[in-house]
Amino acid sequence: MLSRPARKQINDFLQFFLILSAAVFIMIPIYWIISGAFKQQVDIFQLKLLFTPTLENFKIIFKSPYNLLDKLYNSTVVAFSTVVVAIPLATIAAYSFSRFRLTGERIMFVMILSTQFVPAVVIVLPFFILFRDLGILDTKLSLVLVNLSLIMPFAIWMIKGFIDGIPLDTEEAALVDGSNRIQVIKNVVLPMALPGVITAAIFCFILAWNEFLFAVIITTNKAVTMPVGLSMFHAEEGVLWHLISAAGIMIMLPMFVLATLIQKHFVQGMTMGAVR
Amino acid sequence: MASVKLENISKSWGNVTAVKNISLTIQDQEFLVLLGPSGCGKTTTMRMIAGLEEPSKGNIFIGEKRVNDELPKDRDVAMVFQNYGLYPHMSVYENIRYPLKVRKVPKSLHENLVRKTAQKVELEDLLNRRPRELSGGQRQRVALARAIVRAPTVFLMDEPLSNLDAKLRVNMRAELKHLQHELKITTIYVTHDQIEAMTLADRVAVMDHGIISQLDSPEKIYNDPANLFVAGFIGSPSMNLVKGELKEGIFKHSNFSVKVGLKECSEATLGVRPEDLELTNPEKAVCSGRVYSFELTGESTLVTLQFEEDRLTVRGHNKYRVEIDEIVGVNIFPEKCYIFETETQQRLRR
Repeated sequence: MLSRPARKQINDFLQFFLILSAAVFIMIPIYWIISGAFKQQVDIFQLKLLFTPTLENFKIIFKSPYNLLDKLYNSTVVAFSTVVVAIPLATIAAYSFSRFRLTGERIMFVMILSTQFVPAVVIVLPFFILFRDLGILDTKLSLVLVNLSLIMPFAIWMIKGFIDGIPLDTEEAALVDGSNRIQVIKNVVLPMALPGVITAAIFCFILAWNEFLFAVIITTNKAVTMPVGLSMFHAEEGVLWHLISAAGIMIMLPMFVLATLIQKHFVQGMTMGAVR
Repeated sequence: MASVKLENISKSWGNVTAVKNISLTIQDQEFLVLLGPSGCGKTTTMRMIAGLEEPSKGNIFIGEKRVNDELPKDRDVAMVFQNYGLYPHMSVYENIRYPLKVRKVPKSLHENLVRKTAQKVELEDLLNRRPRELSGGQRQRVALARAIVRAPTVFLMDEPLSNLDAKLRVNMRAELKHLQHELKITTIYVTHDQIEAMTLADRVAVMDHGIISQLDSPEKIYNDPANLFVAGFIGSPSMNLVKGELKEGIFKHSNFSVKVGLKECSEATLGVRPEDLELTNPEKAVCSGRVYSFELTGESTLVTLQFEEDRLTVRGHNKYRVEIDEIVGVNIFPEKCYIFETETQQRLRR
């Protein structure tokens, strides 16, 4: 039999080893992308750790014919617009679902959630025809509309969870203290649900930022977004992995910065507790 | 300042009726306590006065004005909630100031009012803290301060002390009483704790299953209960209640009989408080029983005697000692007994 301290050591080592393996497994593709972005095309399939890094790839992707800056701009506008429209609307809807007993409330909520069960591929075509008839194919507006339809149910569902967690007492106290419903939402519910709302906003931004399927079908030229742009790096000599890697970094970078900036809220959103 | 009048108020949700046709007038500056076990409708009644719940039937008046259709904010009431309902994202100062802010009291007055109120409840040093950094008692004070900062016409308190520990509760109780006396604001107070009700109230409304069982001064509620429910609910330990029959002015139980001088009643219940019974020698006693339990509470002793099916609890001197299973005698004094008709639960009076 092993002594207790020895067993604990083995246990600790096993835990560490498992976590490390998981981390490595997750990080390998990211490492591959980052290293690939700084490699020359000839080095791309070689696994050597030492190579001469170059910034040439980043210069190429922002130049014609790739013009990644336009796509970065499109992606930013589309993702931000989606979030700016979706979050206030979703918050109001979530509040209503959470606090008022409405007729047909359950059915409405199930209907909203059921839109998430429909595979995106199924509704691509109707959207395409709709936008063609409206004459807004290949515009940022069409992408925002599509993203809203994808994101709103998710945002409502998520924010409702946070509002459910706010004690009713607090709201009723505000009502008796002299607030009307709008003031209650503005002064009490929103500040208390803020970590949750921000968490939802981040998730929505990520979903909108990464959205590929609709963008690739609805846009052709003017409103092309980053993920779609990524698929354009083909040439006669095959897939241009070094450029894809560089563009991949440009997609990841804003997410990374965003996540770092709002990490505090994010954690708070996960661990929010009310005062009793 | 104003009186509050409830006129035939009912509240039901589907098949469940929480409050049944209550009528009640609370005088200006009165301290009224709604007392009852959980689920008796006391909180629902208060929430209807606050405007947080709409009555299914009846009218509510605050002062001369019918307020059924008024929003909570327009009723000029202040409420203290069981879980305080503090705003966790605001400092103590902001919490207390909030009613002034939303009611558009001139900004120049805020600071002075908040500080004065904070002083009244001894919170001056904590104004910059957040609620989560406060103890239960301090949070309670913030909730109180927020309620009194703007001098409402009516104060509503929903079990405000129930989350505090026993010692703090006694202190806060005294402070509440003092505060109400000082502010002279009509107060309605909901509790299930009879001690709170007895000590605080000018009048107590004992509620049971959505109706008011008795509305009276604490003294009368204790000394002159109108029915079995009130008799059994008020008092700690509660009143001894034994079933028997009433014949020719004598209450007959299988072990004893007491001459109470009342009209006939085939099924009657005799009630007598533990402190109104006397422990004595079995030979001299009205009845005697076997000791079932013996408790020393400090200022007195509680001896529970077992008869065939019934038990009687007697409060004895704090020096009194007895062993379990010993036989002890009890004297029952007719003038200290309450007789109830078992079927209707109503008191039979001489």
